[in-house]
Amino acid sequence: MKELIRKLTTISSPSGREEQIRNIIREEIKNYCDEVKEDTLGNLIAIKRGGETKIQFAAHMDEIGMIVTDIDEKGFLRFGNVGGVSPHRLFGQRARFQKGTIGVFGAEKIDNIKDLTLDKLYLDIGASSEKEAKEKVSIGDIATYYHEFSDLGDRVIAKSLDNRIGCAVLIEAMKRATNPQNDLFCTFTVQEEVGLRGARTSAFGIEPDLGIAIDVTSTGDTPECERMAVKLGQGAAIKIKDRSLITHPQVRDLLTTLSEKNSIPHQFEVLPFGGTDSGAIHLTRAGVPAGVISIPCRYVHSPSEMIDLKDVEAAVRLAVAVMENKVEL
Amino acid sequence: MKSTSLLTKLTEATGVSGREDGAASIILDFFTHGEGREWVSDLRRDKLGNIILYKKGLGETPAKIMFAAHMDEIGLIVTDIEEGFLRFSSIGGIDQRVLVGQEVIVHGKKDLLGIIGAKPPHIQTPDERGKSIKIQDMTIDLGLSQEKAESLVKIGDSITIKRKFCQLKNSLCSGKAMDDRAGVVALVECLKRLKDLRHQADVYCVVTVQEELGVRGAFVSSYGVNPDIGVAIDVTHGEMPGLPDYEAFKLGEGPVIVTGPQMHPKVFEKLKEAAKCGNVKYQIEAEVTPRGTDAYAIQVAQAGVASGLVSIPLRYMHTSVETLSLEDLRETGRLLAEFVMEINSEFVGGLKYC
Repeated sequence: MKELIRKLTTISSPSGREEQIRNIIREEIKNYCDEVKEDTLGNLIAIKRGGETKIQFAAHMDEIGMIVTDIDEKGFLRFGNVGGVSPHRLFGQRARFQKGTIGVFGAEKIDNIKDLTLDKLYLDIGASSEKEAKEKVSIGDIATYYHEFSDLGDRVIAKSLDNRIGCAVLIEAMKRATNPQNDLFCTFTVQEEVGLRGARTSAFGIEPDLGIAIDVTSTGDTPECERMAVKLGQGAAIKIKDRSLITHPQVRDLLTTLSEKNSIPHQFEVLPFGGTDSGAIHLTRAGVPAGVISIPCRYVHSPSEMIDLKDVEAAVRLAVAVMENKVEL
Repeated sequence: MKSTSLLTKLTEATGVSGREDGAASIILDFFTHGEGREWVSDLRRDKLGNIILYKKGLGETPAKIMFAAHMDEIGLIVTDIEEGFLRFSSIGGIDQRVLVGQEVIVHGKKDLLGIIGAKPPHIQTPDERGKSIKIQDMTIDLGLSQEKAESLVKIGDSITIKRKFCQLKNSLCSGKAMDDRAGVVALVECLKRLKDLRHQADVYCVVTVQEELGVRGAFVSSYGVNPDIGVAIDVTHGEMPGLPDYEAFKLGEGPVIVTGPQMHPKVFEKLKEAAKCGNVKYQIEAEVTPRGTDAYAIQVAQAGVASGLVSIPLRYMHTSVETLSLEDLRETGRLLAEFVMEINSEFVGGLKYC
């Protein structure tokens, strides 16, 4: 599974530009489902039939990025954020465009680091003129973090583990669930980072009876961090609440019972900020009970996110348990 | 059942956003086994827990009116257990300054009584004395050891403030969760009146969930009902010392009919007409914070709904001593019933802009 995670996190596919990651995922899953569809916004929907209850699984495949807004006469690029990008995390980092161009973020002279905002930063792609820069990059191109995958043993560091790790969990669960008891709509959604947009339209199209998102969550186990009960390595996190969702009580109970029955390590998550695809799914049409299987992740939205493979394994097992148990709500 | 006793039962019931079953069971019981069963033609609960009370109209192609009042209340949620004390954060916009000293009920494996304590004034630093304590620094004391607390309470369990309903002078009453269980009682009052009236329109009284988290129940219930007209019933600020007149409404002077971009001008006019016809005293408010009530969600359901908003004046919003006039509550119910009587399919036809 490490190899799959490495492969998925190496791809540069920011929100609205998910083509590359979609092609990789389609290749991975095509032999493990009955049908693969793509909707108008680019959501990849793999259908695996097995029962009456329609369950939508959603793992978003986009990642945060930086969109070029201006190219100056010396060839420096100015940019805006696509999703939750913090200026302090960009300074000194490298970015990569989908066609391969690489650059480094520099900052204007500022006296106090607290004054660092995105518009004080620029991206230097090594071009010495506007003309040279424009040969490589156009206004509207979106770059992502450029950082290597590091294998630390049980844990790995990579860019865009939010949410390629969710994609990896869903892919692996589809491969393992050989005896599904529900109709599964495994959706690799687009544009989550800019407001759960792919989940919104895909859920409208699918009209599921139950929605389960698979995504990362923050942890409260690093020195002097914000207080939170979730810890890396302590199992899959069953979301109770974030800013987009209060998990439907029946869905919370379903995920908890399945974890207990199958001895899957799990923890409960109350996230004081953030949201994920189930936030959009549960408000679809006349309402859809929804919940989230979260993978604890440190340093979310930085170029070096960290996860623990034990949590990944627990998340896969929990997803498979939902797929292979006849769900009645 | 008198509306005061229903309001007492409802406001003392538990029902934090997303976990509304305590309040819901009172409504469901009243309309399936109580006297309310004669007042509705049908009752159902949707997938997110909204209760939809349906009263059929006499019209051949009846207009569909939806009234919405939310039954969820703001509250707290367990985020961690430390040495037997519970850490918590808020559900909805709770005023953290009024939390210290409250009694709470923690909905663990069973309901547990707890209190929110803080460092006494004697041992506060001068700096701490000048500031109110933040919610992330407060804890709930259940009197339990870590081991026992962990066996009874899970992270994510909801917590409600414990508060008895009480009556003050001049028909004023006070308690928690008046926002918006008072609105729910106004719906009940409306249905009670409609029982004896020959109305043309179909009426859907929707008791919504998760309003305090971003009008979520109203989004899905209005999609499901798909009404022609949707009116939310909620609370607005009552006059009190320190609030300018233009931001506050008088208690006992009747319901507040609201206008603003979220409200269809013809629905607003019709509500005023209904008030005049029924001799209901009313006040007028121009709404400047459009996202705050169910009307916001109803307006954009499906292909769009002509929406309105009626508010009950209430003091000390989002504390456990929310205070309002029972008179306003009854008059709100009467206004809604009068409004229903005014609506026919011709009025609905005239709502279109083209």
